[in-house]
Amino acid sequence: MELASRAFEVITKPANVTDEVKGLLPDLGNADALPYWKHVLRMAALCHDIGHLPFSHAAEEELLPKGWTHERLSRLLIESEEMREIWDNMVPPLKPKHIVKLALGARKAKDLQFSRWETILSEIIVGDAFGVDRVDYLLRDSHHTGVAYGKFDHYRLIDELRILPSFEGSTEPSLGINGGGIYSAEALALARYFMFSQVYYHPIRLIYDHHLRDFLTAWLSKGTLLPEGTFPIDIEGHLRTTDDEVNAALRIAASDPEYPGHISARCIMRHCHFKRLYERDPQDAKLNSEPGAAIAMAAKREFGANAVRYSKPKVKNVAIDFPVCGPDGRVQPAISASETLSKLQPTAMEFVFIDPELKAKAKSWLDRNREKILAAAGEQEDEEHETQPKSSNTHVVEPRNAEKG
Amino acid sequence: MDAGFDFILYRHGPFSFDLRDELSSMQADGLLELAVKREGYGPTYVPTQFSEMFLERFPKTTARYMKQIRFIADELGDKGVAELERLATAFFIAHRERIASVALRAQRLVELKPHISLPDARFACQQVDSLIERARPFSPREE
Repeated sequence: MELASRAFEVITKPANVTDEVKGLLPDLGNADALPYWKHVLRMAALCHDIGHLPFSHAAEEELLPKGWTHERLSRLLIESEEMREIWDNMVPPLKPKHIVKLALGARKAKDLQFSRWETILSEIIVGDAFGVDRVDYLLRDSHHTGVAYGKFDHYRLIDELRILPSFEGSTEPSLGINGGGIYSAEALALARYFMFSQVYYHPIRLIYDHHLRDFLTAWLSKGTLLPEGTFPIDIEGHLRTTDDEVNAALRIAASDPEYPGHISARCIMRHCHFKRLYERDPQDAKLNSEPGAAIAMAAKREFGANAVRYSKPKVKNVAIDFPVCGPDGRVQPAISASETLSKLQPTAMEFVFIDPELKAKAKSWLDRNREKILAAAGEQEDEEHETQPKSSNTHVVEPRNAEKG
Repeated sequence: MDAGFDFILYRHGPFSFDLRDELSSMQADGLLELAVKREGYGPTYVPTQFSEMFLERFPKTTARYMKQIRFIADELGDKGVAELERLATAFFIAHRERIASVALRAQRLVELKPHISLPDARFACQQVDSLIERARPFSPREE
């Protein structure tokens, strides 16, 4: 909320707004409207993550009913009667729809039509290039995990934010930066790159996501607390289910073999997680576009589905393009202005994990069969694409059945 | 043909976050790389050497979509952001909002993208109609 306010102050400061931009965005010149929008932005920043499930993203895709996401839950809360009363009592009263647009952005509120002004304001929160949500989670996670990768000079970056009038031949205004902020923008991109490769997509963190998901699947589907088999999507139910309820259930399940999700809970609580069997090698990708998936499938045939887990985290676009205004007033794309940004490459990752009791056996099996598995699976790919033309960026392929035996 | 990507109206016209993710994924797989072809303009995705080897592994899929890909590349490949913004938004309106009249579509385009002039919007709508007509033989339904 503090960062969003600061970004708003910077981009609307009269000295930072050119006449051209003011002409393209009438809201910027409307002194009465600006305090309203600042208030909307602050409330949107506050409510942006309000719909998160216990342990945030770990089990969202699998354990919410089809069509539901945490953003949809955030929207449900923002538009709820209880929250409307709060928005109505503010001075001036705020429109929930405006808060929803800025909190979720165009990607997650596809049914709403955004004005250019709303698009720019939503980018202050959820923008790929320098959204304050991203700034905040990198700094916060870096601090709490005790790593330095996520730190960068975010105040300098925010101080250099500008609404720029033109970009690549289009005269549509966009959120960009002054040239002086390019080094902070590079530092943000690098922070993100390292946080993903060293923290968020670290294989041990990924396997704990699996164990947690497996536990939650068993816990939810066996009616211990939530008979629906998924997380509740009504407001009361959503607010009732927090990390605390899951932590308490994990503790009980880990020591009670009869409790739903016992084995996964034990893996988490006793730190006896599945071990890495295979990690994607770029050379293997020349034989098969998803070598990890091919090896996971073969390993499941060999050792059983419950002994194997496969993880393909979603590829993150690290070098986001945005306009940069040089000292001569010329606006150019960041990737042209910065050699560092132009060289940042996204990384594909895949991991196959195995039950620790089978690790030695599985390693030996993989050494003997690796090339054969990859070559055989590669030959089948053209046939599969014939029947499934659209490829998928889905990050996890995993059986729902979590428990052994 | 429907590639299955969801588009929304965003900066510089219709945009698909799913398609962008897919392109990032292809970049991570070493199939595409970014190259700045013209100073002052953003980067372009270009195929890598590895992508040629990759395509050789998919002869049936490649053959199936080659005509459509060539048509799109020939028609749109050399256009800049500003022109593509007009054309793509005009196509989005024609496709999603099903407005028959060119004049009404042009008005709608200006409403959505006020920095585009009405004559440019009208011309873009006419170009899109012509493009749709020329694309008809390449539609899977027509084959």
